[in-house]
Amino acid sequence: MRKNLLAALAAALLIFAFLITAALAETVHWTAIRDARIVPVNGPVIEKGTVLIRNGVIAAVGAKVDVPASAWIIEGNGLTVYPGLIDALSTWGLPQAAQAQPAAAARTAQPQQAQPQQQQQTRSWGPRDRPGTFSWVRAADQVQLSDARLGQARNAGFTTAVTFPRQGIVAGHGAVINLGGKTAGDMVVAPDAGLYLALRPSGYIGFPSTPMGVMAYFRQLWLDAAHYREALALYAADPVNIPRPAYDRALEGVLGAKRVLLPAADPVQMERMLQLAADLKTPAVLYGAVRGYEMAARLKQTGTPVILNVRWPARDRDADPEEEESFRELKIRDLAPTSPTALSQAGVKWAVSSEGLETPRAVLRALKQSIDRGLKREDALRALTLTAAEIYGVADRLGSIERGKIANLVLADGDLFNDSTRIRMVFIDGVRYLPEPEAPQAPGAAGRAPSLSEEEEQ
Amino acid sequence: MRTATIACLPVLAAALMAAENNTFLLRNATVHPVSGPAIQNASILVVDGKIAEIGQKVAPKGKVRIVEARGLHVYPGMIDSGSPIGLAEIASVRETVDTGEIGDFNPQLRALIAVNPSSEHIPVVRANGITSVLVTPGATGGGRGASAGSLISGQASLMHLDGWTWEEMEIRRSAAMQMAWPVIQMPRFRGADIEALLPGLAGRRTTFAEARRNQQQQVQKIQDFFDAARRYQKAKASGESIQPDLRYEAMIPVLEGKQPLMIFAAREREIREALDFAARERLKIVLAGVRRPGKALEDIAKRNIPVVLGTTFVSPLEEDDPYDEPFTLPARLHQAGVKFAFASFGVQFARNLPYQAAQAAAFGLPYDEALKSVTLNAAQIWGIDSEYGSIEKGKYADLIVTDGDPLEVRTQVKMMFIKGVPVDLESKHTRLYKMYSARP
Amino acid sequence: MRHAILTAMLLAAPPVSAEVTVIQNATIYTVTKGTFRGSIVIRDGKIADVGEKVMTPAGARVIDATGKHVIPGIIDAHTHIALDSINESSVSVSSMVNVAEMLNPESISIYQALAGGVTVCNSMHGSANSIGGQNVVFKMRWGADARGLIYDKAKPSIKMALGENPKRQGSPQGLQIPGLSSPQNLRYPGTRLGVEDVIRDAFTRARAYQREWKDYEARKARGEKHLPPRRDLELEPLVEVLEGKRLVHAHCYRADEILMLIRVFDDFNIRGVTFQHVLEGYKVAKEIAERGHYASTFSDWWSYKVEAYDAIPYNAAIMHRKGVLVSLNSDDAGGAELMRRLNTEAAKVVKYGGLSENEALAMITINPARQLAIDQWVGSIEAGKDADLVIYDKHPLSSYARVEKVFIDGRQYFDRDEDLSRRPKFEAEKEGLRKKMTDQQKQAAPQNRRPS
Repeated sequence: MRKNLLAALAAALLIFAFLITAALAETVHWTAIRDARIVPVNGPVIEKGTVLIRNGVIAAVGAKVDVPASAWIIEGNGLTVYPGLIDALSTWGLPQAAQAQPAAAARTAQPQQAQPQQQQQTRSWGPRDRPGTFSWVRAADQVQLSDARLGQARNAGFTTAVTFPRQGIVAGHGAVINLGGKTAGDMVVAPDAGLYLALRPSGYIGFPSTPMGVMAYFRQLWLDAAHYREALALYAADPVNIPRPAYDRALEGVLGAKRVLLPAADPVQMERMLQLAADLKTPAVLYGAVRGYEMAARLKQTGTPVILNVRWPARDRDADPEEEESFRELKIRDLAPTSPTALSQAGVKWAVSSEGLETPRAVLRALKQSIDRGLKREDALRALTLTAAEIYGVADRLGSIERGKIANLVLADGDLFNDSTRIRMVFIDGVRYLPEPEAPQAPGAAGRAPSLSEEEEQ
Repeated sequence: MRTATIACLPVLAAALMAAENNTFLLRNATVHPVSGPAIQNASILVVDGKIAEIGQKVAPKGKVRIVEARGLHVYPGMIDSGSPIGLAEIASVRETVDTGEIGDFNPQLRALIAVNPSSEHIPVVRANGITSVLVTPGATGGGRGASAGSLISGQASLMHLDGWTWEEMEIRRSAAMQMAWPVIQMPRFRGADIEALLPGLAGRRTTFAEARRNQQQQVQKIQDFFDAARRYQKAKASGESIQPDLRYEAMIPVLEGKQPLMIFAAREREIREALDFAARERLKIVLAGVRRPGKALEDIAKRNIPVVLGTTFVSPLEEDDPYDEPFTLPARLHQAGVKFAFASFGVQFARNLPYQAAQAAAFGLPYDEALKSVTLNAAQIWGIDSEYGSIEKGKYADLIVTDGDPLEVRTQVKMMFIKGVPVDLESKHTRLYKMYSARP
Repeated sequence: MRHAILTAMLLAAPPVSAEVTVIQNATIYTVTKGTFRGSIVIRDGKIADVGEKVMTPAGARVIDATGKHVIPGIIDAHTHIALDSINESSVSVSSMVNVAEMLNPESISIYQALAGGVTVCNSMHGSANSIGGQNVVFKMRWGADARGLIYDKAKPSIKMALGENPKRQGSPQGLQIPGLSSPQNLRYPGTRLGVEDVIRDAFTRARAYQREWKDYEARKARGEKHLPPRRDLELEPLVEVLEGKRLVHAHCYRADEILMLIRVFDDFNIRGVTFQHVLEGYKVAKEIAERGHYASTFSDWWSYKVEAYDAIPYNAAIMHRKGVLVSLNSDDAGGAELMRRLNTEAAKVVKYGGLSENEALAMITINPARQLAIDQWVGSIEAGKDADLVIYDKHPLSSYARVEKVFIDGRQYFDRDEDLSRRPKFEAEKEGLRKKMTDQQKQAAPQNRRPS
C-alpha cells in the first residue's frame, strides 16, 4: 500500500518537473557577449572570449563557446567584461535609510525637521524598553526600484549592493540586492545579509547614552534572545506545564541574525568589537576600519571580514589654517589608503563601501590611490566582487563570471581602475542597462568630510 | 577681625598690647627682600605700617613692640595677579557669583564694589602668604582665552586680603581694564572615532569661514567701541557739550594709556591681533592667560609687554606637545626677556599660587624669578612697586613670616602683616579642623 | 609625540625578564619599611632585593642614583583618564556598563600620568548615577593595547554616587537633554532621600535575583525541568558586591550621606568600601573607621559646589588620625593634570594637619593599593613586589621635585632625558609628514573637488 503511494508520488513529481522544464524551454533568452576581454575574477583572464547568458544566468564562459542561433549578440571587441561590482555596505534601494543615515541626527542642525517625533518622545529607561531597536526591520521588505541612486550606481559599474536599514542602534537586517529589476522583489538576492548595529545612539533618547551603554545593551539583548529561544523550546516540548512566552519581535529579529555588522575605525574600537562579537556568539563583519592597516594580523587571526570605508581621511578644506594636525592624524591620513594592501597581504577578507563618497565612481578612484601605493589590481577587483559575495555568503550566485552565477556584468572600454575608462553597459540578471547621464549622489551622502572624530561629549 | 588676630598669634600677644598696631621691630629672621639678596639674622623696623629700616644692626628706637622671628624667614606678601576672589563664593551657585556681567562692553563696572570682605575664601587664601589680589570682574577662561562673557568686562581692582570693608581692602580700585580678545571658535575634531565612519556631521559644525567671520565681527565691535570712546574723549576735551556716558567715561584712562588694558589672549593668533590693535590704538596693555605665544613671543618681548600667566597646573594644549609644556612656558617667557607675574584666575585654588611658581622653577625658571613672579613683578606690572612687592625701605610692610621657602608646599606661614598690621591666619578651614579634631 | 615615543620604546626596551637592573645609592622611601640610602635590585619585573647593602649581580644594568630619591610607583585610586566615555548617565543604576570597554590605550593622558610618576590608576565610571558602572584598574604601560594595560590582579569594582550629582536629573534645572523637558522624563531620584532608596532598592532586587538563581540551581540539581531566570546584567555586578567579589567606590560629600551609606552597607553586609571625595569625611571619621571602610579624598579642593563648602584641607589628616585608611586622588578626566603631581598633593597633608612625610607618601602609594586590593603586589618597595618605581631628582614631596625615571614591572617606561632628546626628531618627522600630506592634497585637489 505504502509502496504504491510512493511510486505514484514519484511519478507525479516526474511529470511535474518535466512540465516546468518544458515551460521554461519555451521562454529561453540567450545573450552572448563575444570577442571581449573577460576578467572572471575566480580564474585567469580570457583575452578574447565569450560570455553566454541564459535567462539571466551565466551559461558558459570561455575562449570558445557555442552560441545558440537565437542568441542576442553583443560585440565585445575592445571591451572588458568584469563581474558586476558590489557595494558591500550601502543604503541603495532604501531612500529613507539614506535620509536617516547620519548617526548623529539628533544633534544635526535641524533636529526637529529630521526627527519630528522627538519632541513627544519619552526617554528609554533601560534594556527592557528595547531602545533604538528595529531588529524586525528587513531591507528586503523595503527596497524600492524608484531610488534615483540606482542609476548612478549602475553608471559606475555596480550591479549589486548590500543595503541596510539605518535607524536606531539595532537598525535591522540588510539584504543583498541587485540594482535593477522589474519589481522590488526581483531585486532581492538574499534577504538575510546580517543585522546592522550602530554604536552611537541616535533617533531616541535615554538609555543607552554612551558606546559602553550600547555595548551593554547589545549583550543584554542577545542574552534575552537566548532566553527567549530556550523558553520557546521548553514551551514547545511541554505546552501544558510551561507558560507560553510572549511573542517578541525584537528578539525574533535578533535570533534571525546570521551575522552582525559592527562599526570600528581604529585598533581600539576593532578590539572592542571583536570582544563584543565573541560575547554575542555571532559572526561579525567590521565596517569602517580607517586604520585597518594596523590590524590586519589580528583580523586574520580572528577570521573577521572588513567592509572598508574608502573615503580616505583628508584635511578638511575648510580647516583653520593655523590649526595644527596631530602626528596621529597625519599618520592616519598617510596610511589609510594602505589598508587594502595590508588586509590583502594578511589574507583578510575585505570589501568596500561607497558610503560618504560623492559618487559611486569615486570608489574606483579611491582604490586607484591604493593601487598606486602597492595594492594589486586583482585584489582591488576581488574586493569589489567575489570577496564581497563571500562575506555575505552569496558567492554561489554572485561575484565572478562563472557558469551558474547570476549574470551581473560590467562592460568597460578599458581597465576598471583607469580614470579614462568608461563603463559602456552593465548587465543585471542578464538585463542590459546603458549608462545614464552623470549626476551627483543623493543629498546626505555627499556631506562634508567625516573628520576623524569629535571629542567625547560628556 | 583685628582683635581676633592678636589672640591667635601667641608669639606676638605679649608684646603687642602696649604698642601701636602697625609699628614693630621684627628680629632675628632671614629676610628675603626679593629686590636683593637674602640677609641673615636681620631685623625689620616697621613704623606706621611702612618699612623704616632693614638690616643686621637695626636697633629699636625707644619703646617698640618686638616680634621675635628666630629661625624664621621673612618675605614680601605675595600678589595674585588675577582672581575673582570676593566676587565668587561657590562656583556652581550663580547667586554667589558676581563675575561675568551681561553685555559686550562694561568698562564702567568696578570689581571692588562687590568684593565681599567676609568671603570665606579670603582668610583661606591669605593663610598661604598671599596679601593682595587683582580682583577681576570678568570670566578668565582657559586655554583659548575667555570664551564667554563680555569683550570688555570691567575694571579689575587691586585689593588687600584684609579689611572691614572693601574700601579698607582697596589698593588700586582701577588697576586694569579687563578685556578678552575674540577667539575663532571651532569645535575640534580629532582622532579616529566611530562617527568617522558615517557622513552627516555637516550640521554639527561651524565652518572655519563662519567662525572667522564671527570673530571678525567681534573684533570690529571692539574697534567701533574704541572709536566711539575716542570721539567722546575728544569731544569732552574740546569742551563740547555731550551727553554723559559712563562707559566711555570709564574708557578715558585706557585711551590715555594711563590704565593698562589687560587683554586675555592665549594663542599666537589672538596675541598677534591684540598686539597690533594695542599698537594702533597706542594703548598700555598687559597680556593675560598666555598659553601658546608661538612666534608672537619675540614681539611681546620687543614691545615690553608684561604678561600675566595663569596656573601651570594644566595639561598640555595639544596631543603632540611635550608633557611638560605648561611647566616650561614661564621659563621660555623669561628667556625671551618677558616680564611676567602669576595669577590663579580662580578662587578655589588661589591659595596654591606659590606652588604654580614653584612648578615653573622645577622646570627651568630661575628660583629668584619664580619668587618675583608672585611679588615684585606683579607690583611692577600693576604700577604699585613703589609701595609693594619687595622688602625695601619706604615700602608698606606687607610681610609674611614663614618657616621656609614659601613656594614649597610643606612650608608654614607663621605670621602675616598687611601694612604693618598683623593679620589673622585662621579660617573656616582651621576652625572646622579644630572643631572636628575635638569630636570625641 | 606618542608614536615617536612608542617606536623608540619598542626599539629601546628589551624584554626586561632577560635583564637585571640595580638602582644604586638612592634615598629609598619604601613607605612600609622605612627610608634609607641604599639600592634596589630588579629582576623579572619584580623587586628582587632592597636594602642599605645589597649584592649587585654580575652583568646587571646599574643606574647610579646618587642624590636621587626613589618611591614606589604612585597609585591614583580615583581618575577617569583614558576612557572614551565615562558616564552612562541615562539611568540611575548603570551597573551593566563597564568603563574597561572604553579604555583607550592611545590616550596621551597615560603618558602624562606616567611622566608624573603614576604607575597604577583606578579609572572610574562617572557620578551621575546612584549606582554607576564598573571601573577599571590599569598600569601606565604606555604602548600596550587595552588588554595589556589592564591590571588584572585588581579586584573588580563598581562606582556609586551620592548627593548633588546623582540627583541632578531629578530636577527640571538639572535635566539638560534637548527635547526632553517634560516632567515624565525627569530621572528619579531628585533628592538625597531618593538616592538612598535607589541604592536600597537595587540591592534588594539583587538579593532577590541571587535567590532566584539559587532556587533554580537547586531545582536543576533535583532534575526538574525549568526555565532558568533571565540573566540580568544590571543585577549581576550587584550580586558580586553582595558576595564580596566586587569592591565599591562611592562618590560622596556630606557627612549625612556618608553615614546613610554606611548604614545601608551595614544592612547588606557590604565591607571594605572606599568613600570617594568624602569631603566631609572628617565629620564622621569615627563611623567610617568603625566599619573599616576607606577614604580617598582631594588634598585641598573646596567650594566648587554647595556640598563642597565645608571641605577642608585637613580632611585627610583628621580621618587618618581617627583610624581611617586614607588615600589622595586626582579625579582627573580628560587630561592627567593633577595625577602627575600627586606627590605635592601628598605634601599638603604635611602642611595641613602635620602628618609625617611617610604618612603623606603612604596616601599615594600603599593606601590606595589597599583600597584597590592590590597591596600584595604594589604600593611599597619590598622584595617580591612589582618593580613599579619612580626616581625623583629631589625629595619627592618637594615642589621642585621632577620625575626622572619611571619603572613599571621592572621596565623603564619613562626617562626624562630620553623624552627630551626625542623631541627634535619627533618634530622633524612630523614636519616631513605634514609636507608630504600637503603635497599629496595639492596633487589630488582637482579630483577631490566637491560642491561647497
